[in-house]
Amino acid sequence: MSTTTPVPTRSAGLRNLLTRKGGNKQGHTTFVDRAALGVAGLMVLLALVGPYLAPMDPYAVDLAKSLTPPGSEHWMGTDANGRDILSRVLAGGRTTILATVAVIAVATVIGTLIGTAAALGGRIVDEILMRICDVGLSLPAIVVALGLAAAMGPSLQSAVIALAATWWPGYARLVRTLVRETRDAEFVESARVLGVSRTRLVLRHVLPNSLSALYVQTTLDVSAVMLVISGLSFVGVGAQVPASEWGAMIAASRDTAITAWWTVLFPGLAIALTAIAFNLVGDWLRVRTDPTLRTGGR
Amino acid sequence: MSGHPTQGTPLLRIQDLCVSYPTPDGLKEVVRGVDLSVSRGERVALVGESGSGKSVTARSVLRLDSEARTSGRVLIDGQDVLEMNSKEVRRVRGARAGLVFQDPLASLNPVKTVGWQITQPLRIRGMGRREARRRAVDLLGRLGVADPARRFDDYPHQFSGGMRQRVVIAIAVIAEPQVLIADEPTTALDVQVQAQVLELLGELAQEKDMAVLLITHDLGIVAGFAQRVAVMRDGKLVEEGDVDRVYASPRHPYTRALLDAVPRIGDQPGRRLGTAAATADPVSVSPEGEEL
Repeated sequence: MSTTTPVPTRSAGLRNLLTRKGGNKQGHTTFVDRAALGVAGLMVLLALVGPYLAPMDPYAVDLAKSLTPPGSEHWMGTDANGRDILSRVLAGGRTTILATVAVIAVATVIGTLIGTAAALGGRIVDEILMRICDVGLSLPAIVVALGLAAAMGPSLQSAVIALAATWWPGYARLVRTLVRETRDAEFVESARVLGVSRTRLVLRHVLPNSLSALYVQTTLDVSAVMLVISGLSFVGVGAQVPASEWGAMIAASRDTAITAWWTVLFPGLAIALTAIAFNLVGDWLRVRTDPTLRTGGR
Repeated sequence: MSGHPTQGTPLLRIQDLCVSYPTPDGLKEVVRGVDLSVSRGERVALVGESGSGKSVTARSVLRLDSEARTSGRVLIDGQDVLEMNSKEVRRVRGARAGLVFQDPLASLNPVKTVGWQITQPLRIRGMGRREARRRAVDLLGRLGVADPARRFDDYPHQFSGGMRQRVVIAIAVIAEPQVLIADEPTTALDVQVQAQVLELLGELAQEKDMAVLLITHDLGIVAGFAQRVAVMRDGKLVEEGDVDRVYASPRHPYTRALLDAVPRIGDQPGRRLGTAAATADPVSVSPEGEEL
C-alpha cells in the first residue's frame, strides 16, 4: 500500500477493532484500508438487504420510459425496457456478490483441504491429488458451465457449481506449495519436540504460517470470479434473463451502451468498486495476518 | 560450577546406540555404538566437530528423525524410547525430555505470540489458560526477561537474539522435563550473551534437578558448564571423563587436538593453533568415517 497517512483518532472503538490488541505501532491500518473495508462491508451489506432498499420494482417494465437518462426520478436512468437501473443495481448486488462469495468460499475450502493433504500425505497421495488438479486446471470454466447447464438446466446455481469446480485446483496448488514450504520449518519441528499432536501441528503451526498468501489470492480473485460469473450470464448459462445481475445487466445493455452510457456505467461501477475494495482488503488482510508486517521489524 | 555431581541412577542412559540413514548408496551409519549416561542433576557435554554425529545422537533420544534406523537402547528413567509407539513418544517429548534448539528465531513460530508458545506445552496437557500464563510469566521473569507480563503478548521478531533464546529455553523447561538436551544452544548468540544464557540454563537445571546433555563444538563453553565431557568423533565416543581431568590430561590424541585448537588467554603470542584434522590420528579412521 502506498499511503501510510497517520489515522485521525476519531472513532476509537473501530480503531481498536481494526488494530487488534492495540499493537499497531506503524499505523498499518490506513485511511485507504478503512475505506476499502468500508466499501467491502457495504457491498456485503448490500448483498443482504439490497433488494429491500430498491426504490422501485427492479423488474417493472415501462417501455414509455425506455432509456431515460439519469434524473430526479430515475437517479441512474432506465434501461431499454424502462426498468430503473438504481433498483436493479441494488437488487443485483445480492446475486453477484453472493454467487462470487459462494464460489470463492467453496474453492478455498476444497483447495485448502486438498492442498494440505497433498503436501503432508506422502508421495503417492500427492501425486494422485495433483493429477486430479491438473484435470481441473485444464478444464475451462465456461465449458464445464455449459456442460452443467445442459445437464441441470441453465441457472446461476449451475454457473456457481461449475466455477467452484474449476477454481479450486488453483488454490490447491497454491496451498500445497505454501504448506510444503512451512512443514519443514524448524519451528514446526520444535513444536513436535514438545509433544504437539499432528493435527495441532497442522492447524496451529503449519497452516497459520502458510495461508496468508492464500488470503490475498482469494480477495484478489473476487473481481476475477465476479467477471467470469458475469461472462457466464452473458453467454446464457448464468443468471437468467429477467434477473438483475451486474454482469448480465452490462451484457444486456451492450447495444445501447454508446447512446445510453448510464445503462452500462452504473453496474460497471458497482463491479469495479467491489473488485477494488476486495483487492485492498486482501492487502490489508495480508498485513494483519503477518505479525512481522503488522508491528514493524525490530 | 565444576563441583562433583551427586551420583544416582542415570536418568538418561544411552546404550550401544547406532543410527544410520538410508542414502542413494545404501545405509550410512552416522552413530556407531555410543554409550553415555547422565544422572539427575548432572551436566554432561557432548563435544565434537560438525558431522561427528553428536546432534544425531541427541535427536535420537526424542526419536525426531523418522527415516533414521536405530539400534541399541535409549532409556529415560528406565523406559526405552526406541521401543515406544508414537503416542508414548509424544508423552515423553516436552514433558520428560526437552530439547533446546540452536537457532532461536527459526525455532519460534513467527505468527504466534511468545506467551502462546511458552504455554503450549502446558496447554496441550490440559492446563487452564490462566494458570499456564502465570507460570510462563514467572518463568520468563526467572530467565531475566524484563517486564515479562507485557512481553508475554509480543511476537518473536520483537525479541532480541538473547531474549529469544531465553524464550526457547522457557518453552523447553516449562513442563519441567527431567532430561534437558541443549543442541548448540548458544551458537547463534554473541559471546557475551552466550555466557548469560548458559549460566541461566545451569541455574535452572540445578533448581529443577534436571539431567542436562549439552551438545556443542565449542570447548570454551564446556569447562564452565559441564561436570563431565564426552568427545565424539565419526560416530563414536573417543574419550569420556570429568571435565577437569580431560582438560588437564586428555588421553585420546583427538581430544588433545581439539583442545589445542582452542585459543587461550595465556598463549604465547604467535602460537599456532592446532587443527583437529591435521593432528588427529590418521590411521584408525578415514575421512569418510570408515574403519580401516
